[in-house]
Amino acid sequence: MAVKPARFYVDDRPEEGVFRVHRDVYSDAELFELEIKYIFERTWNFLTLESQIAKPHDYITTYVGRTPVVVSRDAKGNICAFLNTCRHKGATVCRFEKGNSKFHVCLYHGWAYDSSGKNISIKQREAADYPPAFDAQNHDLIPLAKLATYKGLIFGSLSPDVPPLDEHLGDLKFFIDLHMDQGPQGMEIIPGRVAYTYRGNWKMQLENGQDPYHVDTAHGSFMAIAERRRKGQGNVAARELDWQKRNDVQIGAYEFPHGHSSVWHDVAEPERRAVYATLDEVRGRVGDLRADWMIKQRNAVFFPNLQIADQIVPILRTFRPIAADLTELRSNVIGPIGEPPAQRAARLRQFEDFVNPGGYATPDDVTVFADCQTGFKSTGVDFLQGYSRGIGVVERGANDEARAAELHPLASVKGHRTQNTELGTHAPFREWVRLMEAGMAGRKAYS
Amino acid sequence: MSAITSAQHAALLAIGVELLGREACYLDERRWDEWLALYARDCEFWVPTWTAEGELTTSPQTELSLMYYAARGGLEDRIVRIRSGRSPAALPLPRTTHIVSNILLLEPQPPQRIRLRSSWVCHAFFPLLEASHTFFGRAEYELALREERWAIAKKKTILENDRIPMAIDVYCL
Repeated sequence: MAVKPARFYVDDRPEEGVFRVHRDVYSDAELFELEIKYIFERTWNFLTLESQIAKPHDYITTYVGRTPVVVSRDAKGNICAFLNTCRHKGATVCRFEKGNSKFHVCLYHGWAYDSSGKNISIKQREAADYPPAFDAQNHDLIPLAKLATYKGLIFGSLSPDVPPLDEHLGDLKFFIDLHMDQGPQGMEIIPGRVAYTYRGNWKMQLENGQDPYHVDTAHGSFMAIAERRRKGQGNVAARELDWQKRNDVQIGAYEFPHGHSSVWHDVAEPERRAVYATLDEVRGRVGDLRADWMIKQRNAVFFPNLQIADQIVPILRTFRPIAADLTELRSNVIGPIGEPPAQRAARLRQFEDFVNPGGYATPDDVTVFADCQTGFKSTGVDFLQGYSRGIGVVERGANDEARAAELHPLASVKGHRTQNTELGTHAPFREWVRLMEAGMAGRKAYS
Repeated sequence: MSAITSAQHAALLAIGVELLGREACYLDERRWDEWLALYARDCEFWVPTWTAEGELTTSPQTELSLMYYAARGGLEDRIVRIRSGRSPAALPLPRTTHIVSNILLLEPQPPQRIRLRSSWVCHAFFPLLEASHTFFGRAEYELALREERWAIAKKKTILENDRIPMAIDVYCL
């Protein structure tokens, strides 16, 4: 299949109220290759949290697109990130997900690098009779072109041509703050990790988090469980929100620059939210407005690889695109440093019950993604119709809630819970078009 | 710990082999009520995660689990979900075959309890994906007498291949 101009795939005519996305965006293997090249490899990606590499020589391994990366703290405590591939024959120099090591030694021929990625040994170099041209080459691991942090989150870019992180995040910083300011001493990743794959495109999960519309159908079986829990039966320890009580709440969404967006959802039972136990302390520290926002259910997208989600408890969920129809997800559950044991346990029960591959929501999401992926193989049908809810009342710029929070979205929507706006899908696709178009035209991603 | 005779050992092991075999059979044959009845009302059902360092989490109260239920009510929810017919993850329900082996008594044996370990394999066929996956691991059980019958008071299931294709449920473990 010949790839068409990027603009073809997103039928975006705001003045006519039209926003449609072509099915090939999720299934075309050639487009997927271009996404890796023109999106993942040419913009900022979330890597990990500073607290995951707290001490000198701590490291984690991850991916930017499909590029294997080591994020490390060097001997002096500086954060470093470099490609996890030996300069000699290309093998990864670090096989483990996480650890502490002064050196990364390639298991193939023993080339060794320090925790900043600098080459410190080429085995049997003296006897190698290398030509001068070899000695003139740099043998260090390739550092990521850009590396920056915000509130303990580490971001990196393979391309040097990206805006400063602060500018790139923009108002998304507000949503990161709502996550990372919940604990008086900061937040930490709770040990244990969850990794799962689904047979579907990476954008399916990205959109799913911006899609409140699916909840009462895809997760309809949870209604039956909630019904019993109301009577004190079943896993009541999970303290999930009672969906019957949410009929009067409002929802909304924002479109931000650079592909970021966020949906929010008012909560009828604030006492069930993890932050509620320490809400007085939180109010005193961050003020009423931000504390009230922490109570709201939220899901913000950092385009292209992170969900900053708190529909149940605050998590950081990353997408790793493997193929057009294969994606790996990892969820990090975060909690306040020094959290009392009972609250920590309650937080874990809430997460496991719902947003976990062994929970009650995530398995339903990922199996319907597989249905979508099968449906995308259909011929004789082109654009999807899942992007228009709430668009009839979209406000360009900020609405009242955004102004009160000093946010500057490109567009805002608010409505009754059942409006279930799909505005949150627009920002990622507009940025998708912009980056793909720049890449296909041979232009820089950012000018 | 008081030493047990070989006859006592054989008798306790036989109880465990029978019960673990029944659990596998009930899950594969979707005899959900009989499966639930194997568990004590106050049972603990725990599936720890592996940490990024490649170790198992050691406490469900402070670390993440794939599943953790402090009572049988948690397992009952799983069955309510399957029977609701409204969970896409269970439509159609994967077909499974459990093989449970290497069942050994664990020392020490607490009084009035039987501690066991097993190795398990669960072959699951997912009609939705037209594909099979093999989940495998080991498990530790603690059985207790409830109403003159041996019931599962604790089960810790270790999923060795924890890069999960889509999802897990109690019938995949």
